[in-house]
Amino acid sequence: MTSTIAMTTGILLVLIGLFAILTQKDLIRIIVGFSIFDIGVHVIMISIGYISDATAPIIENLSQLGQSYVDPVPQALVLTAIVIGLGISAFMLTFAVFMFKKRGSLDINSFRDLKW
Amino acid sequence: MIKKALAVLLLAQLCTILFSFLSVYQEPTSLNAVSSHYIHNEPKELGAANAVTAVVVTYRGLDTLGEVTILFAASVVVGLLMFLHKNESAPRRDGSELLKTGASLLFPLILLFGAYVFINGHLSPGGGFQGGAIIASALMLTILANPNRHVGHGFFWAIESISGFVFVLLGIAGLVLAGGFLDSRVLPPGTFGHVASAGLIPVIYIFVGLKVGAELSSVVLSLHGKSEGGVQHHD
Amino acid sequence: MVEPVYLIVVALGAAFSLGLLRKAGFVMHHLVLLLSLATMTAISAQWTVGLFTGSVSPAAIPTAGFSPPISINLQMGKTEGFLTLLVNLSVFLSSLFMIKTVKRRSVYVPMLMLVFASGLNGIIMTRDLFNLFVFIEIMSIALAGLIVLNGDIQQLGAGFKYILAGALTSGLMLIGIIFTYHTTGSLNIDTIANALTPELKAVGYAGLFLIFIGVLIELKPFPVNGFGLDVYESAHPAVGAVVSAGAATATLYAFAKIAIMSGDLFLELSMVVGAVTFVGMNVVALQQKIANRLLGYSSLSQVGLLVLVWSLVKWQNIANGDLIVLGLLVTHAFAKATLFWLSGIIQKEKIEDWGIIKQRIYLLFPFAIALLALIGLPPFPSFFAKWELIMALAANQSHLAIALILGGSLVEAVYLMRWFGHAFKNTAAEDETLSVSFCQLLPVFAGGLLLIGLGYPASLLSATASPIPWMLTAFVLFTFAMEFLPAKIKNIIVMAAIAWYGYPLLTTIGGYRVIFAGIFVIGALVTMIPGFSHKGNRLGFYPSLTMMFAGLIGIIEAKETMSFFFYWEMMTVGSYFLILRGKNSKPHALSYFLFSLGGAYLILAAFGYSFGQTTSVSLDTLSQVASTPYAALVMLFLSIGFMTKTASVGLHIWLPGAHAEAESDVSPMVSGILLKAGIFGLLMTFIALGDQKIGFVDIAYVLSWVGAISALVGNYLAAMQEDAKRLLAYSSVGQMGYALFGLSLMSHLGWLGALSLSVIHFTYKVILFLAVGGIVYRLKTKNMYEMGGLIRKMPITFFAVLVSIIALSGIPPLAGFGGRWVAYNAVIEKGWMLQGAIIGFSGIIAFLYLFRLIHTIFLGQLKDAHRKVKEAPLPFLLPQMLLIGLVMFLSSRPHTFLAPIGEIVKEFKPDGALTWTGPLAQSHLGYWDGVMVMWVFMGLFAANFALLFIMNRRAQPVKQFNIVYAAERPARPETTHFAYNFFAPYRRALGFLEYPLATHFFDGITDFLHAAAGFIRRLYTGNGQTYLFQIVAFVVVVFLLANGGF
Repeated sequence: MTSTIAMTTGILLVLIGLFAILTQKDLIRIIVGFSIFDIGVHVIMISIGYISDATAPIIENLSQLGQSYVDPVPQALVLTAIVIGLGISAFMLTFAVFMFKKRGSLDINSFRDLKW
Repeated sequence: MIKKALAVLLLAQLCTILFSFLSVYQEPTSLNAVSSHYIHNEPKELGAANAVTAVVVTYRGLDTLGEVTILFAASVVVGLLMFLHKNESAPRRDGSELLKTGASLLFPLILLFGAYVFINGHLSPGGGFQGGAIIASALMLTILANPNRHVGHGFFWAIESISGFVFVLLGIAGLVLAGGFLDSRVLPPGTFGHVASAGLIPVIYIFVGLKVGAELSSVVLSLHGKSEGGVQHHD
Repeated sequence: MVEPVYLIVVALGAAFSLGLLRKAGFVMHHLVLLLSLATMTAISAQWTVGLFTGSVSPAAIPTAGFSPPISINLQMGKTEGFLTLLVNLSVFLSSLFMIKTVKRRSVYVPMLMLVFASGLNGIIMTRDLFNLFVFIEIMSIALAGLIVLNGDIQQLGAGFKYILAGALTSGLMLIGIIFTYHTTGSLNIDTIANALTPELKAVGYAGLFLIFIGVLIELKPFPVNGFGLDVYESAHPAVGAVVSAGAATATLYAFAKIAIMSGDLFLELSMVVGAVTFVGMNVVALQQKIANRLLGYSSLSQVGLLVLVWSLVKWQNIANGDLIVLGLLVTHAFAKATLFWLSGIIQKEKIEDWGIIKQRIYLLFPFAIALLALIGLPPFPSFFAKWELIMALAANQSHLAIALILGGSLVEAVYLMRWFGHAFKNTAAEDETLSVSFCQLLPVFAGGLLLIGLGYPASLLSATASPIPWMLTAFVLFTFAMEFLPAKIKNIIVMAAIAWYGYPLLTTIGGYRVIFAGIFVIGALVTMIPGFSHKGNRLGFYPSLTMMFAGLIGIIEAKETMSFFFYWEMMTVGSYFLILRGKNSKPHALSYFLFSLGGAYLILAAFGYSFGQTTSVSLDTLSQVASTPYAALVMLFLSIGFMTKTASVGLHIWLPGAHAEAESDVSPMVSGILLKAGIFGLLMTFIALGDQKIGFVDIAYVLSWVGAISALVGNYLAAMQEDAKRLLAYSSVGQMGYALFGLSLMSHLGWLGALSLSVIHFTYKVILFLAVGGIVYRLKTKNMYEMGGLIRKMPITFFAVLVSIIALSGIPPLAGFGGRWVAYNAVIEKGWMLQGAIIGFSGIIAFLYLFRLIHTIFLGQLKDAHRKVKEAPLPFLLPQMLLIGLVMFLSSRPHTFLAPIGEIVKEFKPDGALTWTGPLAQSHLGYWDGVMVMWVFMGLFAANFALLFIMNRRAQPVKQFNIVYAAERPARPETTHFAYNFFAPYRRALGFLEYPLATHFFDGITDFLHAAAGFIRRLYTGNGQTYLFQIVAFVVVVFLLANGGF
């Protein structure tokens, strides 16, 4: 149940993020949209590994091995995914900064030098 | 308006794709074969208390190498763009005395905390990335407090390069001395639950922490636009 | 063997360590970069060689010392070895290429290049789903950095759009990966593939779909690829090269892994997407004028083709499928990289400005090689791959796939060869200079040589391969090596080689082939004589010429369909380059090429169906198709294919321009000799398949009408020309119409007529083109109304023209009559009187243009400007004299060639043969004695001539005087010449024949495609957000498509 709620939240975040990406004109807002989208993806990921009534996969001593742990794999993956998302966000923000410096505008419509 | 309507329509369709999975989703009641190996065999195999860390650093170590590479690439691109567009920004208003003093007071503490987080990554929640990010935030705080201060970039680049290179070398050590690339069993597993345990995992995580810290710092510095850059560019 | 993991380790280690060498300077940076890439290339080369020779077995490399699925594992098999070699080599060469450009960019570019390379190797080798994702991200980020090398706004915009699109797709992919992990409990591709039961596929569909669509969008399918096009257009060309050769290759392999992992779940989808991309991008590219963006369109279309072909071969379980894909892939990678590097040297945005390439004329060689390889012409790997593919598809009766692949490839040839035409023919502004460094040349030539070199191994891997007579190809390659020699020496070498190779061929080949072998070999030697009049080294002429003649000889020698097709294409390519050398021949050469290629594709499809039905690749067993349901189709395709070469009406529009605008010594080759290749093919087809019906319609009957109308239209249009060479060109259309008509009679006499016509046409058409060529050489004009009265100045030429028009017109006593007599017998025998009447009528029209030729050029008053004109140069006259000798011999002793040809034809059509008693030929309709006719005519001619001589003894030649216009000077003085619009009255009667129906038809198709391109490309608005919209819409639409949601 918990995981379903988390996953639904994640999906909604993904959709909200996408809506922002698809409708906002401002580069910064689009990047914010991407971050929301990305967070949604991470929430979905982490919710997959959840097992009801299980604890975090940190084993305090070897005698506790019998107890129930949540799946460590999605947690490891989400760690990597967060860092990658961070890299991409930093990347896009840098581009936005320089695009603004060059053109004096943050409207995505004003960067149509290449087409057709 | 039409655009928004269209976006809503498309997203509604996308929503059905995602919910088509959710509708058949059943929360697992037990671990699958792979994750149960990680939980039940990892303590014997690698000896790290934090199973997630064991997965991140050893079992899926190649991913981790990849992800520091992505951060590295991002910082290189930011550096390249800065390099191509050298321009002096106007001086900014300095932070207040309170802010400056507070920042310099907090700076070593944050660094210490960051180091603590990545050194203990194999024992408790945390690790190289988290620690690295904390370290970078210390630098960011300093810069925000002293916007006109010039910070040398070279130091961070050196840390970044050395720790990246060492990471790769540790990986090769695994290949040569143990079972494969990035195998952490080069060093003995040690006593379970101690800092000096889990083979190479804490060593690798220290360098990952340093690298991530340096990379994020260098991105922050580049965007800050006040660093002096490596090679001056005149054309 | 070095552990494959070092492919990643070396790149990353070097990239990280470069940070410490920041101050070490440019040389050091590039030394590290190139050394690391060279090491990686060597590692993958070592594995590739080992794996393909079998000295090592494929390796699965677990990391971290645990076996999968516990840890990530890499794989090094044949495919991985080959692909890593390919990408490492291309990144290495591109890095070499960039050295000068990136000098002022500090350490950043080497770092990014290395990170990029590590990403590519990782994508190819990894067997872990999430790890694949990580490496795709590494590649994308490094690439986005490489895009902005100059940091200008275009590049920033392109990079931003690219990374935005990538971020969106990778998010969707991540969701897919985690869903799939949930369903299957693993991230290992092989484990997942094994775990996926049908039930799990249903449960985990959404996850698998999202991964699949994510990788698919990474491949930039039509129409969601605007962001990719911007990258190609704005990035440094060397980056474009690594995107095309490296990123596309690695991503394709990622796609293949995902598709295999999902079972057959998405093969249909990827087939559709691939086909739409291939055709769509090629059509849109038609309107593109910007070189780098054009290359982008072409790259994306090729990736579409690869997706289509890969899915097809998996779908149909085609043996050798992987090799087909690899063949296409490696060709695309190196050809596209070579073109991008060239673009980096040329530095011209518009393809029209590429004429500057001629300042470094040798660059045309790699340019041509890359373009031809992309189109899939021999001897490049893509040729063999395409051959294999079409054979397999035809065997599986995938008609739509064949049509799409060949059709799309034809459209691709349009814009690629148009580009070559611009580069070859356009002139650059005077003040521009092209500078090029060694580091830039090395990759370009390495690319070209690799394409050639890989052809041979590719031919060995092909399953339906037959040994190709490589000696001819080897000689063609040799002619490239001797390009530096003077033209005269090369002429001697090539002539000697043809004679040396051709003589034994003539004596051993036998059958109907000997007739054509004779025309090709003797024709080559004779028509090459005028080449001695050229000074300098005539760069490019001899390789093209050798290619054409090697092709002609090759099709004669071919025993299997594949070698026939190989040399058929080689002939087309060679003749295209020859024709392109003419002064105004740019559009004509292109249309020649396209018609030939279209025809060749029909031939290819026909061979494919024949193979599919009979599982035999031998040309001798082509006749076995006759008893299969595909007989009529094969016959139709082959006939139309060969008719593009004979320029039958409807398919003739390329011929007049191509033949008339070619160089003086090329016109006789292409008109007198090359056209016979089509006749050869038609004869081969008819022998094998005979009469075939489509429904109630007999194909041969239809062809007889095509032949008759070709004769009529060709002759009529010839009569209406003002340009002497165009006249001769149209005349060939008519003459080939006769030959087609004769062949379609499917009788002994019909074939005898057609074959003898082919021989005779060769002699007189070569004479006429050489004669006119000599005149054009002296007068510098081709317009007949600008000539006149040349009989005194050029008596030998006059004599040559006189003899050949008599031969052509088919009146006694010369050789043409024999053919005509046979033909009339054949018509009467067959009873196709209506077509026969048209043929007869066309013969009368032929007199109009023949009369004009001799009258307007040689008779009448000499133009003032031509008073000092000399006789044509000896190299032009000599072959004419030789051929006149041949004509006279054949005319006075017609039985010496008609009887042997009759014997040859008898083998296939024994009924209705002539009976020869010495020179006397008898059909059941009548008799003819060529020698007797000759004697009678000689007697009559001598008598008349004597009479004239005696009666006209006192005749005085009238001196010419200036014509003075009384009042005004006409605006176009030439229109007042009596020879201008000479046949105006006839035009009133038969003008409807001039209506350019075929031209309008083909123009209509072209215009439609271009208009479609102009419309569709508006999808690429340049707005990054629109592209994102398209991506989301693509995901949704494909999902609905897959699930029958529509």
